[in-house]
Amino acid sequence: MKFRYAMVCSSNQNRSMEAHCLLKKQGFHVSSYGTGTHVKLPGPSLREPNVYDFGTPYKLMFDDLRRKDPDLYKRNGILPMLKRNLSVKLAPQRWQDNAADGYFDIVFTFEEKVFDMVLEDLHNRDQVLLKSVLVINLEVKDNHEEAAVGARLAFDLCEQIEAVESWEDSIDDILTSFENKHRRKLMYSISFY
Amino acid sequence: MVGIMNPVSREKLASLSNSVKFAIDLGPKLELCRQLKRDLLEEDAAALSEFLSHIFDLYSDPSGPVRKLATEIIGEIGVKHLEFVPEIAPFLITVLEDATPAVARQSISCSIDLFRHTLEKIAIQGLHSSELDSDLESSWSWMLKLKEKIYSIAFQPGSGGVKLVALKFVEAVILLYTPNPNGSSEPPPNEGTPIEFNISWLRGRHPFLNVGDLSIEASQRLVLLLDQLRFPTVKSLTTSMIVVLINSLSAIAKKRPAYYGRILPVLLSLDPPSFVIKGVHVYGANNALKNALLSCLQCSHPSAAPWRDRLLGALKEMEAGGLAEIALNQVHKVNGSVEDEKDHSSVIKEEKPMTKACDAAGNNVGRKRSGTEDSCDLAETSDVSGKRVRSTPSVSEESTKELNRNTSMSQGDISSAQSTTRKVDVDTGPVQQLVAMFGALVAQGEKAVGSLGILISSISADLLAEVVIANMRNLPPTHSHTDADDELLEDMCIIGSNTQAKYPSSFLVDVVSLSSTFPPIAALLNSQQSVPNEIVIQKTEVDEEVDVMAGLNSTVAYAGMAHEAENALLPGMEKIDVPTPSDIPDVSNLESGIPGLDSSFHNDGLSDAQAASSLVSTDLEDASQEQGTSFGGKSPLHVLPSISIERSEELSPKAAVNDSSGVVSSTATSVVSSHSFVLPKMSAPVVNLSDDQKDDVQKLAYIRIIEAYKQIAVAGGSQVRSSLLAYLGVELPSELDLQKLLREHILSDYINHEGHELTLRVLYRLFGEAEEESDFFSCTTAASAYETFLLAVAETLRDTFPPSDKSLSKLLGEAPCLPKSVLNLLECLCSPGISEKAEDSQSGDRVTQGLSTVWSLILLRPPIRDVCLKIALQSAVHHLEEVRMKAIRLVANKLYPLPSISQQIEDFAREMLLSAVNIDAAEITDAEGLIIESHKDSELERPSHEHQSMSSTGKDISAVSHQSETYQSGSSPSVPEAQRCMSLYFALCTKKHSLFGQIFIVYSSASKAVKQAIHRHIPILVRTMGLSSDLLEIISDPPSGSENLLMQVLQTLTEGTVPSAELIFTIKKLFDSKLKDVEILVPVLPFLPGDEVLLLFPYLVNLPLDKFQAALTRLLQGSSQSGPVLSPAEVLIAIHGIDPERDGIPLKKVTDACNACFEQRHIFTQQILAKVLNQLVEQIPLPLLFMRTVLQAIGAFPGLVGFIMEILSRLVSKQIWKYPKLWVGFLKCALLTKPQSFSVLLQLPPPQLENALNRTAALKAPLVAHASQENIRTSLPRSVLAVLGLSPESQSSSQVQTSQAHTGDTNNSEKDAVAEISKESSGAS
Repeated sequence: MKFRYAMVCSSNQNRSMEAHCLLKKQGFHVSSYGTGTHVKLPGPSLREPNVYDFGTPYKLMFDDLRRKDPDLYKRNGILPMLKRNLSVKLAPQRWQDNAADGYFDIVFTFEEKVFDMVLEDLHNRDQVLLKSVLVINLEVKDNHEEAAVGARLAFDLCEQIEAVESWEDSIDDILTSFENKHRRKLMYSISFY
Repeated sequence: MVGIMNPVSREKLASLSNSVKFAIDLGPKLELCRQLKRDLLEEDAAALSEFLSHIFDLYSDPSGPVRKLATEIIGEIGVKHLEFVPEIAPFLITVLEDATPAVARQSISCSIDLFRHTLEKIAIQGLHSSELDSDLESSWSWMLKLKEKIYSIAFQPGSGGVKLVALKFVEAVILLYTPNPNGSSEPPPNEGTPIEFNISWLRGRHPFLNVGDLSIEASQRLVLLLDQLRFPTVKSLTTSMIVVLINSLSAIAKKRPAYYGRILPVLLSLDPPSFVIKGVHVYGANNALKNALLSCLQCSHPSAAPWRDRLLGALKEMEAGGLAEIALNQVHKVNGSVEDEKDHSSVIKEEKPMTKACDAAGNNVGRKRSGTEDSCDLAETSDVSGKRVRSTPSVSEESTKELNRNTSMSQGDISSAQSTTRKVDVDTGPVQQLVAMFGALVAQGEKAVGSLGILISSISADLLAEVVIANMRNLPPTHSHTDADDELLEDMCIIGSNTQAKYPSSFLVDVVSLSSTFPPIAALLNSQQSVPNEIVIQKTEVDEEVDVMAGLNSTVAYAGMAHEAENALLPGMEKIDVPTPSDIPDVSNLESGIPGLDSSFHNDGLSDAQAASSLVSTDLEDASQEQGTSFGGKSPLHVLPSISIERSEELSPKAAVNDSSGVVSSTATSVVSSHSFVLPKMSAPVVNLSDDQKDDVQKLAYIRIIEAYKQIAVAGGSQVRSSLLAYLGVELPSELDLQKLLREHILSDYINHEGHELTLRVLYRLFGEAEEESDFFSCTTAASAYETFLLAVAETLRDTFPPSDKSLSKLLGEAPCLPKSVLNLLECLCSPGISEKAEDSQSGDRVTQGLSTVWSLILLRPPIRDVCLKIALQSAVHHLEEVRMKAIRLVANKLYPLPSISQQIEDFAREMLLSAVNIDAAEITDAEGLIIESHKDSELERPSHEHQSMSSTGKDISAVSHQSETYQSGSSPSVPEAQRCMSLYFALCTKKHSLFGQIFIVYSSASKAVKQAIHRHIPILVRTMGLSSDLLEIISDPPSGSENLLMQVLQTLTEGTVPSAELIFTIKKLFDSKLKDVEILVPVLPFLPGDEVLLLFPYLVNLPLDKFQAALTRLLQGSSQSGPVLSPAEVLIAIHGIDPERDGIPLKKVTDACNACFEQRHIFTQQILAKVLNQLVEQIPLPLLFMRTVLQAIGAFPGLVGFIMEILSRLVSKQIWKYPKLWVGFLKCALLTKPQSFSVLLQLPPPQLENALNRTAALKAPLVAHASQENIRTSLPRSVLAVLGLSPESQSSSQVQTSQAHTGDTNNSEKDAVAEISKESSGAS
């Protein structure tokens, strides 16, 4: 695997982690991030979400929620999700604070808002390395089922990108064929580190 | 490691670089390279200079990654030790040509670092001395060469990854060559401080670098970049190129606003849909453009300002208007303090000619900006006041500061208010026209007061109300009442801005110009001109009087204004207020406002209040004076003051009254005039509740609403109302568990409360929320609420309603989606006993209910068809027969005919059928053990059982079968189990006869129990099916091993009906060709023609005795229509016609057949036997078994003796002795029938007689006695008498001997025959 990948969604819980988990299993060099200010998880009601800071270990959230209402969080899939997450990495990470993690070659976002935030963040960084980074947005609805579908699609796309010599030359073709195949619209941009 | 290179390290490096060179695998090689890099970067220049060539060597490596890494190492060495540039730069230039794009890209990215550092070094050195290093000079010239080379890559036609980076390089150089307005224009005091290089450090005093030249070059390059994006070049670019170009250009524009005017026109002229002709990937470029424009919009530099409208217009076209406004607001936040901003706005207003969209945008900007200014102005005013009050303790000052802060905060609200306004403005009914008219009149200020009054009095109250309502839509969205103080201030800002926003832009321009000329009084001027604000002031004045009396501080004034602001949110209403002053709400507002503030500002003295009040009043005076001057002093200015005076007179007592009595609402309502009926509601006292209290109130309110619904059910209009109720229940915060209340309401009387409709409404709301593209947690919460609600209602419906009720089915059919738990509920309904729940007493009906629900779901909801079908199918193999039969009826009769799912049903049924057969094999072995053990502990047994059954559906089936087995502790556990699995398939067979073939195939390998189960089913099944071509086909070619089944099928088919000719034909053909077993013909025997049957007869006889008997019965009974196929006589004759040797049938079989006939004496009667014997005796040769039959006949019917004698005598005449076997029988018969047989014996010729007597000595004496009778003796010939020894001449021994010799040859055989017959008769008896 020649590229470094980053999967980004807003809370680094569902969509990005689903993709992270899958790609990791497939042997990709992958990380995942969220662009939100906090990690928000559903609570007993809309008005009481469970809010955590980025960096709070998944295990901690898992224990916390299991203590609060095991039935509810099991039923809405939060506990299983956290369990999956804690097997992938320690804690949710924030995209905007990831400068120390080195540069990525390919960044996947799963929501246009996140896409824009990632790009804005990249543009605001000092672009001194002139190392190109491809940012692809694949719109994925934020629920468990769609996240699984999205992860498969992302994996599919990653494989195709890996297969070519340099994505800079063939990205249009790759994405077009992907769009035709899966009937999904993609958006991408190129930024630099 | 300073100075001289450490020999160890040198060696180490040398060996390292060698091992890199000779490493074969890529992985270790790269790892070595990285290590080399780490080590090298620690070395000093001297050591490196020695070593550089080694690294250049590395570049000759064939593998791309190694070359890339080598380039990277060299680049980093270069950056660290700029003195190597003259060596490194040529190297980098060659690397640019590398065949591997990644390596070439690496070269560029090294180059930019190197370039930046070199430039920086030269610049700083030049600043400090007038002479430059020659080394540095040559470095620089190399760098320039490198730069040119990369330029050429960037601007050569074509595309590719290298070009992307090269373009980025160009961007970087442009940025380096141009001064950064935001950066420090002074060089860092000492070298090495990390500060971004800025070309403006040079300021033309560099010996080597000319800022002017550099910037010329930068701008040339920029032009080249821009040209790429111009038509038609842009058409040949790939999307990635376009994206990079757009991003680069917008970055340049943002960082170097000086270029704004050159870059933006190009960006704005880009037409996303058209600029990618090759096609395909527009969104990326589109998005990049959008983001670029947005970021340009955020730029706060003055030179960016003129472009905003066009940017806004373009963004709006790209449907990013909302974002644009947010961005713009941010800009305003930044610019809020910049004075010249105001001028811009008016300038913008003037430069008109644009497209319509732009115009609208411009208008908007104008409005918004003036709104902003207005609040700024307001802030300024209060600032002024703050200054004036400064002498007093700082509360007001603080609030003023806060006010300033909030000014910018509130702008967000303004913009949103703006956008709503814009939306609303679109529809122009009479009401809107009126609103506009009011607006226009109000805009004219005092002049129009009269006409306003006339207008208002001339329109109907209804219409007026509508105008008010229409205007209400212009309100900003609700504000959260969190922090009282903040809110006050925030609202205050809105007064100015929002009211302003109402006015036509022309008016605004005036205001703007005015306010810029007289900033200090601008706000007051504005408020004078805009009626609402004026009222505010007036009222403030009024309030002040009250306040001063009450001894309150100055902030009360603000409080009053703030509360006024709430009303000011309804400008329309305020407008109405002008002629018919009804300001009680305001007073009451004050009422509530004052105490709250009172407590917080208690300590501030009276002086404050006085100061403030005087300030306000003076300001007001100032304002009116100012206004007076500005309007020429003769305007109907006086009207207003008079009004205000009147009002203050009018109000102040009331206020006082209110103040003292505290009965707000009653007073208010009593004074309210007819027009103002809306107002009291607006003026409800603001009581700040805690969250809990709020919740309680909401809950109570909701309960009241629900209760009310119970009462008004009869009133009609329920559609709208139930929507409302559902909406409320869902919309209010869910902690209150209003949904539970709602649910209780629905379920308390499902039918009368229109439970179904209400439930659906709630569900649809929740569903909509869950499906909305919102964030994860709200989705999940709503989905969970949805599930809970639906499940609760469904469960209650199930438990409370009779099974025949259709509500549940209807609900599930119409709910927006069915979560898993609901499907589980349905499953439990259809397959009772699946869950641990106790069995319902009504389970039968419930099953029907569940199944019919499933059926309707399958019909109505294609997406969950599979799941529902699975439920039905599970039920169809349920262990309880009652349940199973119901489900099977549904599946076979209703579902199976649906073409879309029939295949699935078929597959499932087949699988179950096969599983029955397969499991069976396993089960037979473990079933015995199981039954015994399962009673002891069934739970423990289960796993092992599951383990043993290996079919695909094994788990479920074995679990269920296990249950059934424990239930059936009887003799054969597998039959019911087999039936459970197979019933469905059988039911399907009746619908699709070709499926029946599978049963034939399965049959041969099935166990006894399964066969038994099949046999049980067959009669019903076949009868239902009837004879079809499919069935005929199956019959015509049955798989081997299925004969028994075939027999049963044929029997069933022929039972009670006449088989069709086809069937008979098929069976005959089968008999002739494949299956030689005559048995299959048995069922159709009655329908075959007699002669055919006779041909078949030997085969029939050959059958096992019981089957032969059955066949015999059939033959004799025949069919109801045609009568018997054969008569009994014919049957017997046919039996006798069989020749064991010729037909290959054991004699035993034939005798058995005979015996079988004789057993049925009621059929084979005396007469029939006589008839048969009569016929048989005529046959030549005589049938082998003839005498045996005769003997049997006598045994069976002694009355036949006379007849037999006749037969015997006929046999004599037929010379029976010539048939040795029969002869024995004859003699036996004679013996049996003595004395009647004597006469026949005496008919024998003497030699035969003698033979007979010799053989059966027992005959001789009686016969002699008989013959001795006189009358007989005389009739006998001599020879006979001689044989009998009655002859006078006595017998000659020689004669006897001759006769003996004559018959000697037959002797043995006769003995045999006798032995045989006796044996047989003993066997038969």
